[in-house]
Amino acid sequence: MPIVTRTLVLLALSLYTAFAAGPFVWAAMLSLRTTPEIHLDHFAFPNPAHWEKFPDAWFNSNYATYFTNSLQVVVTAVLVLTIVGAMAAHCLARYRFRLNRIIYFILFSTIIFPPQITIISLFQILVNYGLYNSKVGLTLVYVALQLPLTIYILESFFARLPADLFDAARIDGYSDWEIFWKVSLPIAAPAVATTVILNFILLWNEFLFAVVLITDEANRTLPLGIQRIIGDTQEDIGMIATGLMIAIVPVIIIYAFFSEKLIQGMTAGAVK
Amino acid sequence: MAIVRLERLTKIYERAEAPAVKDVSIDIGHGDFMVLLGPSGCGKTTTLRMIAGLESISDGILSIDGNFVNEVPAKDRDIAMVFQSYALYPHMTVWDNLAFGLKRRSIPREEIERRVTNVAATLGLSEFLRRKPHALSGGQRQRVALGRAIVRHPKVFLFDEPLSNLDAALRVSTRGEIAALHRRLGATMIYVTHDQVEAMTLGTRICIMNKGRVAQIGTPLDVYHNPANTFVAGFLGNPPMNLLPAVVTDDEGGCTLAVGSLKLTLPPQRMPPLPAGTTVTLGIRPEHVSPHDRGYLQGFPFSCEVVQIERLGAETLIFAELGDAGARLVARSGGDVAFGLGDRITLYADLSAAHVFDGAGNALHLQTQSR
Repeated sequence: MPIVTRTLVLLALSLYTAFAAGPFVWAAMLSLRTTPEIHLDHFAFPNPAHWEKFPDAWFNSNYATYFTNSLQVVVTAVLVLTIVGAMAAHCLARYRFRLNRIIYFILFSTIIFPPQITIISLFQILVNYGLYNSKVGLTLVYVALQLPLTIYILESFFARLPADLFDAARIDGYSDWEIFWKVSLPIAAPAVATTVILNFILLWNEFLFAVVLITDEANRTLPLGIQRIIGDTQEDIGMIATGLMIAIVPVIIIYAFFSEKLIQGMTAGAVK
Repeated sequence: MAIVRLERLTKIYERAEAPAVKDVSIDIGHGDFMVLLGPSGCGKTTTLRMIAGLESISDGILSIDGNFVNEVPAKDRDIAMVFQSYALYPHMTVWDNLAFGLKRRSIPREEIERRVTNVAATLGLSEFLRRKPHALSGGQRQRVALGRAIVRHPKVFLFDEPLSNLDAALRVSTRGEIAALHRRLGATMIYVTHDQVEAMTLGTRICIMNKGRVAQIGTPLDVYHNPANTFVAGFLGNPPMNLLPAVVTDDEGGCTLAVGSLKLTLPPQRMPPLPAGTTVTLGIRPEHVSPHDRGYLQGFPFSCEVVQIERLGAETLIFAELGDAGARLVARSGGDVAFGLGDRITLYADLSAAHVFDGAGNALHLQTQSR
């Protein structure tokens, strides 16, 4: 690559990186500064860095509870979504049966409805079943919310796997159940990683259903916890930023763990 | 080793207009290498998949070693199959691919280790055992697929066009490996291909299929030299047999045919006497047609115009038009030829090697057909 082209490409990439990472870096800097310091200069470097804000947020602002609740709800939802979604997708992609496409269409068509449409009826259903204001209720709602997209992503991946693989496994002596666990699911690891990351990030940040379906302080998730810090008359910007930094740690861990598989999943089929 | 018997096997797919396989009956003996040969869509793969247990059987009887297995699941038929796409498990190493079928059968770990090691050594895969399929060449993948079948010690081996994805050179060498494998194991093998060279070189017997039915079964040379019908005659051989429309005349006791304005008399052993006016098809293989009169006892001269010449080095294929007969004749000649396109030449056909087929396309000189 000629040096001029190379320089231009690097410049463009640097600008984009600054554009994309700028807000994150700014929030990270704010998380280490106090609110009075921030009011004096919005963009100054944290000097001194107030690391003590993190234990303060964790222990004194009830972040430990919010964080644990989020972790319980989201991890359970993602686990159920992955297993149930993969099974459903495998079934829809691999087996020919009557109404296959109709079931697929009905599942997928729920994506087209904005969540606001369903929220009142969901609220009523959860109240009727005694699941309102509970983590189990919120987990079930999250599973229902993300299942169509999960099935859509995994179904298209399973459908691309050659049928010979399944025939070979059948001849090797494996049942359909065993083929799912020992052949299909391991091969679909990139697609599964994609759904895990997407679902985790979406649900970790989910606010609308959480704010409607959870009111009890003991059951609040992180997005609700952060919202609580925003007062009616004044906002503790510094503490909000600290809370946000705590909130994104699991997302970064999940992304770092699954990112290689995610890229494989995104590019599957792109090259021969 | 096993005996596989297909009795009037039929497969009808839901909402299909015609059966994919209809009344296929084949007896495959101990140690037979039966090749199912035919064009795309003739039902050969469907037949193989029914034997494997991967397709349900709509009608007919399938038995292995005398046991009725129509309803027996694939895993309980004790068969192994090599697929066209290799069908290797991409997330497993070569070792795991080879051992996968054995693990399911609760074979002791030491025995699995021994079998996998032996098969890998036999197929030259020992150094690749820790690799995954994507890190192997096409030939190596095919050998792993073969190894996965061999390691199981199955009763019957099934091959579904296993060489189709290989390049020409690799195909020849792998063909040799499969032939050697059959000689060494002496196992019953059923092999599907559309490649007649594979069929002729590998098979102890060939079953030629057309439109879901058996067209002919026999040894490779038998089906080549004695095609039961015009389909087999036109399918086997490269180029295939010349098939010329003809009409019986009454000049020589029913053995004289008119091809266009030409009249030729066949030896009596090549066709039974037929009433004058009967429409038949005259078949002559290209190797029995030559631009040189080789002193054939029955060398019949066809005057024709050269329309295409294919020089292959060791031999030359001459495509010529017969003029008023409205037919094309292909001749195979050793070495090069001196004439060019548009030249009028004489091609000599050895009528003692001619075949005659009736109006329905069935061979007339054969007294019995092995169907």
